[in-house]
Amino acid sequence: MDDEGNAVHLLLVEDSPADVYLVREAMKTEGLECRLQVAEDGEMAIQILNRVDAETDPAPNLLLVDLNVPRRDGIQVLQRMRQSPRYAGIPVIVISSSDSQADRERALAMGATEYFRKPSTLDEFMKLGRLVRTLHSRSGLRHEGGLVSTV
Amino acid sequence: MSEGSSVSSAYEGSRKETIEELRARLEQAEETVRAIHQGEVDAVVVDGPKGPQVYTLQGADHAYRVLVERMHEGTVTLDRDGLILYCNPQFAVLLGVANDSVTGSAFHKHLNEADSRLFATQMEAAVLRGHSTAELTLRAHDGSGIPVRLSLTTLDTAGLECVTVLVSDLREQERNEAIVKEEQLSRLILDQAGEAVVVIDNEGIILRRSESAKRLAGGAILLDRFDHGFPLTVSGKRFTAADILASARAGEAIRGLEASMELAANATAALLLSASPLWNKPSDPRHPNELLGCVITLTDITEIKRAEVILFRQAEELARSNNDLRQFTYSVSHDLREPLRQLAVFSELIQQRYSVELGPEGRDMIQHAADSAHRMEKLLQDLLAYIQAAEAPQKTTANTDANEVVRKVLANFEVRVAETGAHVDCGPLPTLGVHEVHLVQLFQNLIGNALKYRGEATPEIYIGAEPMGNVWKLWVKDNGIGIAMDYQKQIFGLFQRLHGGGKYSGSGIGLAICQKIVQRYDCKIWAESAVGRGSTFYFTLPGGKL
Repeated sequence: MDDEGNAVHLLLVEDSPADVYLVREAMKTEGLECRLQVAEDGEMAIQILNRVDAETDPAPNLLLVDLNVPRRDGIQVLQRMRQSPRYAGIPVIVISSSDSQADRERALAMGATEYFRKPSTLDEFMKLGRLVRTLHSRSGLRHEGGLVSTV
Repeated sequence: MSEGSSVSSAYEGSRKETIEELRARLEQAEETVRAIHQGEVDAVVVDGPKGPQVYTLQGADHAYRVLVERMHEGTVTLDRDGLILYCNPQFAVLLGVANDSVTGSAFHKHLNEADSRLFATQMEAAVLRGHSTAELTLRAHDGSGIPVRLSLTTLDTAGLECVTVLVSDLREQERNEAIVKEEQLSRLILDQAGEAVVVIDNEGIILRRSESAKRLAGGAILLDRFDHGFPLTVSGKRFTAADILASARAGEAIRGLEASMELAANATAALLLSASPLWNKPSDPRHPNELLGCVITLTDITEIKRAEVILFRQAEELARSNNDLRQFTYSVSHDLREPLRQLAVFSELIQQRYSVELGPEGRDMIQHAADSAHRMEKLLQDLLAYIQAAEAPQKTTANTDANEVVRKVLANFEVRVAETGAHVDCGPLPTLGVHEVHLVQLFQNLIGNALKYRGEATPEIYIGAEPMGNVWKLWVKDNGIGIAMDYQKQIFGLFQRLHGGGKYSGSGIGLAICQKIVQRYDCKIWAESAVGRGSTFYFTLPGGKL
């Protein structure tokens, strides 16, 4: 169940402009209409999350977090998210160039919904768009279900 | 002259009385002397100006008696007829009989019959001249002859004439001569020893020392206290001869104890101390099992210690620089892959989006750029695998079924096997004491190579194993292009490639990884091959627990 007509609000924590470009490209290829908010480092991402908590900023629908970012790394961003119940239902995709099993397990243990290894072929990279769509619609369903049960 | 005679007789009478009295007193005196002689008197009370005074005989006599009883040589007292009045225990020991069975017997009965005459002559000589000596043979209780030297001296005290005989066992003397020779030998050995050897008595006085001990102490130390010559410290505390003797008494031998010693020149020597106790024989009649002292060996390890410290520092430095290098390589291979990946993806993006604008030549160029980026990425990936092979845990025990691993690896190569029509034959393989990741990497690289470096013929690959000593020998054999003899060692080096990128692409890291892995298990890998006749890669690995 897509939020048709409504743009998906993505918070992308990524310091590499090339990857920001590729993420945007992946969403475009998937035909996913989105509002991409970019935090260039972990500190900036945490500040955004703080503002969301203070309800001065709107909450994103989904987060894309690179593990290897300056100032505060991706894991610290995941830790910050776990501190607030507001983010409990929001999917997080960790995107990383590391193919180490340890990094993958750590990210998932810290609360990431998916681990997406940045591929070195265009086709593979474009699959990120499909993953975002899937997770977003799934969370949307869960959200609706929650509403129904409340009613 | 009756009066005169009566006077005379009275005088006669009183003189007689005086004589009688004197005789009685003499008798008393003689009796006293006899009693003293026989040891029946312990003390004499004499009236003096300060009243009666007690003179004990013990004080004067006892020391001599003990001396005689304990002396190493036999002593015998004979009367003029050669009857034994007294003998010390050593003489009885010499004959192998009890003390009291000797007293009262004739001395010549204990001699070789042939020596009886000689003895009689020497007795006469002793009586005449006061002293004589003779070398003759005693007959022991068991019939054996004992060569002895007799030293006879007449004693004429208190009217009792007797002869004392000092009996020296000549065998003992011969033995002593042998001991002296042995002593010279051991002194030679002692002085040859590089270690400082010191013998101390049970009070810590140095009785012997080797030349090197003298050098270590920096001067003469004989009969000096061990602690003066060798001021030792063990674990920051003074360590003295008393400590060494104490552990000897406790039955604890000291072996290779690390000690340090202050040297005269404000320097410190590092020493290894060993000490062994010197016990008196259990059979020693006087002091059985007595601690006589210790033999102490001091080995100078100052130079070794110094080298050890340097070695330790170097090892630390090496470990540090290894660690730095590892971290550097790890981050380089990670961080380099990032832009390479982007380079590859963007090349594709350009090709897709600007295909028309680029034209065939432009598309070609972009393709080369993309290929290069991909190749470099593969290189870095393999380099990472190589580092991880050197890094992965080895100490923890592992148990991996090699059959299972080969099945897994062949599944990875399913497509390639199908494409090439390769025939793979795998014999029964053991369970190995190796981590699964390592075994997967080994077979992945070796089977991969067998498929890659194939010749014109359909690839045939044989995998097998057999026990070799206490390890397993495994092999991957192929019928591929083979390797020239000259290169069979070189191929295990990092980035070693025998072929241009055209036909057989690769990073030249695969076999280096294999070697790194087997080396982690103290094992080996080698190749047997000839150009055009296939290759066999052998490697050894430890067996697993069944």
